[in-house]
Amino acid sequence: MSALDEVCERVRKQVGTVVRDSLGRVSATEFQRFAVAAGETDPVYFDDAAARAAGLPGAVAPPLFLSSVLGWGAGPSDGELGADGTGDETAGLPLAGLRLMGAGQDLDFHNPVYDGVRVVRETSVEDVALKDGRSGPFLVITRLRRFLDESGTPLLSCRDNLIARPEAGE
Amino acid sequence: MTSRNFEDVAVGMELDPVTIRPTATQLFRFSAATWNAHRIHYDARYAASEGYPDVLVQSHLHGCFLLRTALGWAGPAARLRSFGWRNRGIAVPGDTLTCTGTVTACRVDGSGAGIVECALEERKDDGTLCAPGTAVLELPREDVRP
Repeated sequence: MSALDEVCERVRKQVGTVVRDSLGRVSATEFQRFAVAAGETDPVYFDDAAARAAGLPGAVAPPLFLSSVLGWGAGPSDGELGADGTGDETAGLPLAGLRLMGAGQDLDFHNPVYDGVRVVRETSVEDVALKDGRSGPFLVITRLRRFLDESGTPLLSCRDNLIARPEAGE
Repeated sequence: MTSRNFEDVAVGMELDPVTIRPTATQLFRFSAATWNAHRIHYDARYAASEGYPDVLVQSHLHGCFLLRTALGWAGPAARLRSFGWRNRGIAVPGDTLTCTGTVTACRVDGSGAGIVECALEERKDDGTLCAPGTAVLELPREDVRP
């Protein structure tokens, strides 16, 4: 059994298990920086009055904000990062030592994300498959993340496929 | 932005295209705002070691460009129900990316809401497909008084 087979089996054991973590309080400054970086100009992301006029509770985060942010804590020190600069993006999955690539996401939007909301994330693995590509074997992990507020109101759901490959040269 | 009503939309209608030229500065700030330390987005020498011509536009930034195209077309009264995209081709700073879209379905759901589905595409100047996507939007209806 190859190392990747073993990782596949370990991930498969997590199918159906929901990992729940608290991401803390989202601030308008955080999602507005995201909006600026993405080139957004829609006032509903920046201006409370404009957002209220559109029926929102106040300025809201761009729809892809929560599912794009890779880390919610202080993060690892430089020395703990891999050679490619990546750190703790494995999100609780036993994928240390593998190169992870996102290939897109499918999102359902339930409620707006606004300044001060405390976000809880529920992550589960729906499926894992070992595949053979031109550049060798890789894993495809289908992951579901549900983002809720503290009272359990759903904010958004994001399903994505993570591609996990062994580090180059291994 | 002008509001667009459900009744103004029909299958086959084209969305207003959006053209974006991402810069290295934009990629750096997007990495910072998403706490993404992957060197492939800000270290051109590292990107070259993986065989790429320059630093790469982030997967999620492609998604943002497509979504902006759909939301800008739909106007401020639209509500986004769902959105998805796939990363098919890379893009680097200096590339000209054009996002287009077509209305693929219009329906009134059980609650009377006007639902519009759009197919989206982001392509480079040379026609290379970077990211296809789909968006489902609820548009206001003319005959329903708020």
